[in-house]
Amino acid sequence: MSPLATYDWSLVWENRNAFLDGLATALEVAAVALVISVALGLLLALARMSKPPVSWAAAAYINVFRGVPALVSVIWVYFGWSLLLGINFTVFQAGVIALVLLYGAFIAEIYRAALEAIPKGQREAGLAVGMHRIRVFAQIILPQATKIAIPNIGSMFIGMVKDTSTFTVIGLLEVVRVTQNLNSTTFQPFVLYTAAAAVYVVAAFVLDFAFRAIEKSLATSPVGPFGRATAARRTRRIETVMQRVEAVSGARGA
Amino acid sequence: MRTVTTANRPPEGATALEETRHAVRGEVVVRLEGIRKSFASTEVLHGVDLTVHAGEHVVVFGPSGSGKSTLLRTINLLEPPTAGSVRVLGVEYGPAGKRGRRGNPLELRRQVGMVFQQFNLFPHLTALHNVALPLRAAKRMRRGEAEERAALALQQMGLLRFATRFPAELSGGQQQRVAIARALALDPKVMLFDEPTSALDAELVGEVLAAMRRVAESGMTMVIVTHELNFAREIGDFNVFMDNGLIADSGPRGFFDNCTNPRTKQFMAAVL
Repeated sequence: MSPLATYDWSLVWENRNAFLDGLATALEVAAVALVISVALGLLLALARMSKPPVSWAAAAYINVFRGVPALVSVIWVYFGWSLLLGINFTVFQAGVIALVLLYGAFIAEIYRAALEAIPKGQREAGLAVGMHRIRVFAQIILPQATKIAIPNIGSMFIGMVKDTSTFTVIGLLEVVRVTQNLNSTTFQPFVLYTAAAAVYVVAAFVLDFAFRAIEKSLATSPVGPFGRATAARRTRRIETVMQRVEAVSGARGA
Repeated sequence: MRTVTTANRPPEGATALEETRHAVRGEVVVRLEGIRKSFASTEVLHGVDLTVHAGEHVVVFGPSGSGKSTLLRTINLLEPPTAGSVRVLGVEYGPAGKRGRRGNPLELRRQVGMVFQQFNLFPHLTALHNVALPLRAAKRMRRGEAEERAALALQQMGLLRFATRFPAELSGGQQQRVAIARALALDPKVMLFDEPTSALDAELVGEVLAAMRRVAESGMTMVIVTHELNFAREIGDFNVFMDNGLIADSGPRGFFDNCTNPRTKQFMAAVL
């Protein structure tokens, strides 16, 4: 009798909705955490690049939290913070906070490298045309830095989704928790954890593809339907202006 | 110490040449007095005076490291001077600590256009939006108005057909002309050029110089740091030779042909 016969692969399909719900929860936690982490990371990067003692504080934060594992972070927040602050976080909130603490530090370093890659002539040109320094940052420096940072932020997001697997310890109903629950009634660990691994791999693949698409749509010669549509709209708009100006000067010249 | 009675008079004790320049030109647009600039412990400008009148084309030249770019960059406070007075259109922008009100650098820069050696176009924006963004940000124009004004500025530089291109899709000469259009569109009272052709391939220098010539012919006040001495000789109403952080020699039109200072002649011979 083949050992495979004892493996009941039909379990995977029968419980597909449970797996997908688990993935949805993982993606929700990671997505909310990503948005907050990018904001925190950008602020930390700016703090890191400013003058002491602010830069020291930011450097200390970054170096500490890059070293903390997600499992430790979430237990610390869910059990530790609730004792300290007297707040009972939901598992969802605790998961988001745990990820933001860690990935804010990683994204700070990504943004710092990206901001430092922008030539100083860009800032000077913005100031020289009389733009306020905050506007120079928001409209000239930040868009260019973000374009550089996006591929790495994409990798971080995949890491965040995978790190949600540790939140099973606080009872978040993500992919691993779902798998554990199914295993406790069916005793098919090989089948179920293979399925869990497959869910993560497929999710990572899709996310990687999505971030590549965003990256390409931001290129000066955009690829993909969204980027191309945006570029086409911009070109049409500029061409309308060009025609108007040509018409005016043509009439004057005639 | 010289005192300035009003912004539009030459300072007392001004040289005969300055008196003549003032009489011919009238309004003073930029007046630098006793400009010193240090980076860390190294002083690169040791007290420079320079006056620019309306409509005048001032050429600044000299060896590398003589402080000519730094001097130009003090005019729009990209390099705030360590000491001395920067007056633009009668408003003082020099270092704080002295009595009197200081002008806001934002206001200064909205009156002073600058063209850089490395163009410094915004690579994430099209040629049109490189010109339109400052109009929206600094002149508070609406989007449509700014785009139309930007298109006109590009047209004046003969670049309207490249409006949808990004900087990376343009030649160096075209990029520098977009940069000139970007500065001109803001209607500055004076244009600063910081070695505008030094980063260009030889065959692209001509189109940028031609564009600058057209700007000069329009009556724009210009301060030009350049190594193109033939262009300087042709365009310079007032010519300044800088050496070791000081103005070593200066003179009006004809300076390049009638120069007597041995150091200036030596430099010209090496460059021309």
